[in-house]
Amino acid sequence: MGFDLLEPRTVAEAVELHARDGNAVFLAGGTALLILQRQGLPLPRRLISLRGIPGLDEITAGPGGGLRIGALATLRQVERHPLVVRRVPLLAEALRQVANVRVRHTATLGGNLAHGDYRLDPPAPLLVLGAQVRAVGIGGEREIALAAFFRGLFETALQPGEVVTELAIPPTPPSGGTYLKYALSSNDWPCVGAAALVALDDHGRCREVRLALTAVAAAPVLVRGLDELARGEPVSDRLAARLADIAAAQVEPVGDQRGSEWYKREMARVFARRALLAAARRAEAGPVGDGTKEPVA
Amino acid sequence: MADGRKQEFAVVGKSVPRVDGPPKVTGTPIYTVDMERPGMLHAAILRSTVPHGRIRRVDKSRAEQAEGVVLVVTGEDLKTMPGIDPYFGPAFRDQAILAIDKVRYIGDPIAAVVATRRELAYEALDLIDVEYEELPPVLDPVEAARPGSPLVHEQLRPAKAFADLAEIEPGKATNVCYHFKLRRGDVEQGFAQSAHVFEDWYYSPPAQHMMMEPHAALAWVDSDGVLTVITGSQSPSYVKGSLGAIFGLPQNKVRVMVPLVGGAYGGKLYDKLEPLASLLTFMARRPVKIQLTREEVFITITKHGVVSHVRTGVSQDGKILARKVEVYWDTGAYADIAPRVVHKSGYTSAGAYRVPNIWIDSYCVYTNKPPAGAFRGFGVPQVVWALESQMDMIAEKLGRDPLQFRLENVLLEGDLFATGTPVHSAGLKESLEAVAREIKWEPGVRKAVKPGTKSGVARAKGVACGIKAVITPSISGAIVVMNNDASVNVLTSTVEMGQGSDTALSQIAAEELGVRLQDVRVMHPDTAVTPYDTITAGSRSTYHMGNAIRLAAQEVKRQLFETASDRLEVDPDQLVARDGRIFVAEAPTRGLPIPEVFQARFGARGATLQGQAVFKTYAAPMDHETGQSEKVTEYWFPGATAAEVEVDLETGKVRVVKLVEACDVGRAINPHHCEQQIIGSALISLGQTLFEQMILENGELLNPTLLDYKVLTLKDVPESAVPIVIEVPHKDGPFGAKGVGETGTLSVSAAIGNAVYRATGVRVKELPITPEKVLRGLRAGQ
Repeated sequence: MGFDLLEPRTVAEAVELHARDGNAVFLAGGTALLILQRQGLPLPRRLISLRGIPGLDEITAGPGGGLRIGALATLRQVERHPLVVRRVPLLAEALRQVANVRVRHTATLGGNLAHGDYRLDPPAPLLVLGAQVRAVGIGGEREIALAAFFRGLFETALQPGEVVTELAIPPTPPSGGTYLKYALSSNDWPCVGAAALVALDDHGRCREVRLALTAVAAAPVLVRGLDELARGEPVSDRLAARLADIAAAQVEPVGDQRGSEWYKREMARVFARRALLAAARRAEAGPVGDGTKEPVA
Repeated sequence: MADGRKQEFAVVGKSVPRVDGPPKVTGTPIYTVDMERPGMLHAAILRSTVPHGRIRRVDKSRAEQAEGVVLVVTGEDLKTMPGIDPYFGPAFRDQAILAIDKVRYIGDPIAAVVATRRELAYEALDLIDVEYEELPPVLDPVEAARPGSPLVHEQLRPAKAFADLAEIEPGKATNVCYHFKLRRGDVEQGFAQSAHVFEDWYYSPPAQHMMMEPHAALAWVDSDGVLTVITGSQSPSYVKGSLGAIFGLPQNKVRVMVPLVGGAYGGKLYDKLEPLASLLTFMARRPVKIQLTREEVFITITKHGVVSHVRTGVSQDGKILARKVEVYWDTGAYADIAPRVVHKSGYTSAGAYRVPNIWIDSYCVYTNKPPAGAFRGFGVPQVVWALESQMDMIAEKLGRDPLQFRLENVLLEGDLFATGTPVHSAGLKESLEAVAREIKWEPGVRKAVKPGTKSGVARAKGVACGIKAVITPSISGAIVVMNNDASVNVLTSTVEMGQGSDTALSQIAAEELGVRLQDVRVMHPDTAVTPYDTITAGSRSTYHMGNAIRLAAQEVKRQLFETASDRLEVDPDQLVARDGRIFVAEAPTRGLPIPEVFQARFGARGATLQGQAVFKTYAAPMDHETGQSEKVTEYWFPGATAAEVEVDLETGKVRVVKLVEACDVGRAINPHHCEQQIIGSALISLGQTLFEQMILENGELLNPTLLDYKVLTLKDVPESAVPIVIEVPHKDGPFGAKGVGETGTLSVSAAIGNAVYRATGVRVKELPITPEKVLRGLRAGQ
C-alpha cells in the first residue's frame, strides 16, 4: 500500500516525470483512484500529483463569451463559479447533482473526464456545450474535441503520459439547457443522465438541438442527426418523442445493477424526451448564452 | 388515557434529552475503533476466494518474512494447539476461528497476519499462497434443502449456549440445520372449506446492517493473566462465556468490556472478531487489534435472504380459514443465531390474525454464501412481506377494503396466537386505526388517489401490519449503587449502541429512587464488574433490564427507608422517595434528604448502598411437532404501516410521499425517543424496500461497497414521515413498558408494495421494488 508521491511544480515537469516511469499515474482529486484501490486494484507505486501546480485550477472568461476551466478545478469550484453560473448554467446544474458535496470538493473536472467512466454526469453537459480538451504530453500540447475524446470503457483519446490541463467551452448560442439525472436512489451514479441544449429562432422554431446521454453505453453519447429533423420545426411533444427515438437508437447500454440493457434503453428514450422538452421550455422562457443580456461583472 | 397516570411520575414518560447526546455531538466518546494499547499490534485476515473447497495447502513462509510481520497463523496451526477448542457459534459450534480443512464461502477467514502496522498486515496477505480443491458450491436454499444436495457441513455440534435453543439437534447429512414446525387444527380441511385459496411465492434478498462503526476488537492478557477484550459487541456476557470455552479459561480470567458502540442492528452479536483477537494476543504476547474494512463487514454477517411460499384459504365472507406457510432461510456458511431467527419468525409466520388451521414449515438452510444472522426485526420483516402482500391480494379478490379486512381478522386481547398462546398487550387494531387516521385512508377495494391529476403519475395508499414476539426465556442482572450524595451508578451489561438505553435505564432508576435524571449514571459493560445479561437485542432491554434495575433500586430504597424510619419514627411503608428526599407520604415536610440518611446509617464519607437483582422470564415448553405452547413469549410487539406512493408510469420509479408507522410500546418511558426508534426502523426498512440488496453471483458478492450497495440517505426520506406511539401497557413491564427497537421494521415493505399495486396494478413479489420491476409489470399489463 505504500507509494511514492511526486509533486511537480509545472505541467512540463509532470509530463517529464511520467516519461521517466511509464507506470506512474497522474493524481488529481484522487476520488476515482481511491475507489479502485478499495476495490482491490493495486495502486501504482508512483503517483504524480498535479495538485501543487500553480494556476491549474483557474476559471477564466474565454473569448466572445466562452469559458476556460483549469483541469484541477474541483467540481464544487466550477459549480459555484459566477462565470459558470452566468454563462453555462447547464453545467452548474449538472455538477450540483454529482455524488455529494464532500466528493465535489475533492474531485476535479479534468480528473473526471480523464477517468473515462461511462457512468459519470459531467461528460453529458460538456458534450452538448461542445467542450474542447487541452492535453499536454511529452510531444507538446494539443486540443481534442470532447466529442472525440471518449473512446470506450475507461478509454479516452489521451495518450499514455498525456495530462489534461484545461477545458475550453466555446460561446453557446442563445438557448435553454438542462441536465436530468435519473438515479435509483439519491446518492448514486445515474441509471441514465441526459443533457439537452435547445436554441429557438424568433418564431419559436428549433434552430439547433443538442443532446448527450451518459451511462447508456461504454462511453458517453453525443446524439447525432437531431438537427436534420428538428431545424425549423416548432417544439412539440411529438417532435421530442421522435428525437428521443433517434437517441434511443444510438445508445448501446451495458446492463448493470442500475438497470438492464432493455431498461436503460427505455430510460434513455424517456429522459431524452424530457430533457429536450425542459430545455425548450427554458429557451422559450429566456435563453442564455452568447448575445443575450449578461450582467456586468 | 395515560394523562392522569403520567402525572404520578417525575422522570418516566417524559421526553428528556439523551444523556449521551452532548458527548456524542461534540465527538468526545471513545469507541472500540479508537482504542489503542501500548505495544499494540494489528491483524489482518486472509479470506477464501472460492465459495466451497478443501484447503490443500497454505504456504505462509513468504508472508512471515515480510516487513513488520510478527506472526502468521492458519487453520492448520489451530489443529495442533493444546488446550484450544477452535470452534464457536451460539446455535451450532460450526465456525472455526480460522477455516480448518474446508472453506465454505467467499470471504471465509483462512489465515491471519499480525504486524506492527495495519497496512503492513494487509499487504502481507498477498504473500500467502493457498491451494484449493474446489467443491460444487451450494447456492440455492430451496435446492440445498433437498436430499442429495452437496453438503456445506459434514457434521454439526449443537452449542447448548441458550435455554431457548436447547432442543436443537441437527439432522443427518443435510443442509437443513434447523426445521421449525407448527401444526394447529386441520389445515387441509380448512382449505377444503375455503371459498378461495391463494398461493404465492415471495422473496426478500440478503441485506446489510450498515452500522457506522465496523466490527473491531482489541485483546490483551493483563499482568495477572486475565484475557481482556474490548469489543463493540451486543453480547458481552455471551462472549465472556464463549472465550472461556474456547481457551479453557475460568470465567473470572476473561474480561469483556464494551464502550459505546457505533451502531449494530443485530450485526454485532455473539462471536465475531473476539476469538481471533484473543488467539492472536496469546500467540504474540502483545495487545492485538482487529478492525474490519467496510468490504469485510459486508461478508461477515448479513440479513437473511428468504424464499416464502404462502397458501391461504378464506371464506366468502372474509374469514381466514387455513394458512400453510413454507419458508426457506438462506443462512449461508455458518448458522450464527439463525436457528433462533427461524424459530422466532417461524411461529409468527401465520401472521397477526385469527387463523384456526395452520401449518408452518420453516427451514434454516446452509449455503456457500456469507453467513446470515440477526437483523433488526429478527426475520419477521421478511415473513410479513409475504403475508401482508397476500392479504391485499385476498382483500381485492373478495371485493373488500384491505384495511377493513385486516381489522376484522386481526388478533385482539385474549385471542389465541398460532402457538395457542393468549395474546396480551398487543395493540394491533389500535396501530392499524392510528395509521389509517393519519394517512386519511379512503375505504375502497382498489383506489388510486386522484388518478390523472399529474400526467404520467399514479398515486395511491397502502397499509400493512405485523407482530413480533420477544425472545423468551432470557435474563438480565443489574446492580444499583447509591453514593452518599444521592448520586447513583447503575451496573448493567446492556450495550448503548445508539438505541438510547443509557437514557431509558437512567429514567427508570431515577424514577424508582426518587432522584434527578442527572444523578444517575449507567455504566457500560465490563464483565469483571457488571452482571450477566442475555443480549442487547430483540427490543428486550427496556423491559428486562428496566425490571432488573427497578428491583435493584427497590432494594436500595428498602435500606434507605430502614434507616429513615428509625429517624422519623414511622413505619417504612409510610415512606416515599422523591426529589432526593425520603419523607412521610402523608406529611411531606417530615423527611430527610438522602445524604442525611447516609450520614445516619454510616457516618462515613464515600459510603455506598447497593441493591442487586436478576430478572428472568419464562416460556412454557413448546411441543416440537406442533409448535404449541401456553406461553411462548413474555410480550408482543405489534406495529402497522401506512404509505402513500407516487409511481412514475414512464419509469416505474416509486416515490414514497408519506410514511406513517405506529407501534405499540406498552408504555413510553421516553416518548420522543420511542418516536425516533419507530421512524428509524421504518426508514431502515424503506431503504430495503426500494433499493438495498446484496447481489450475489456464484457465491460472490458483486456490490460490496457503498458505491454499489445503496442505503437510504436523508434525501430519500419521504416529505412526511410520521411515527405514532401506541400505548397498551403491559402488566409486568417496568411502568407498563415493553420495547420498540424493531417494531417499525415489520410492515413497511408490504405497505409500500400494496400502495404500488393500488396505484398501478403491478404486484411485485420480490424485494426490492425497483423501477425496472414496476415498469416490466406495467408493460406486461398493457
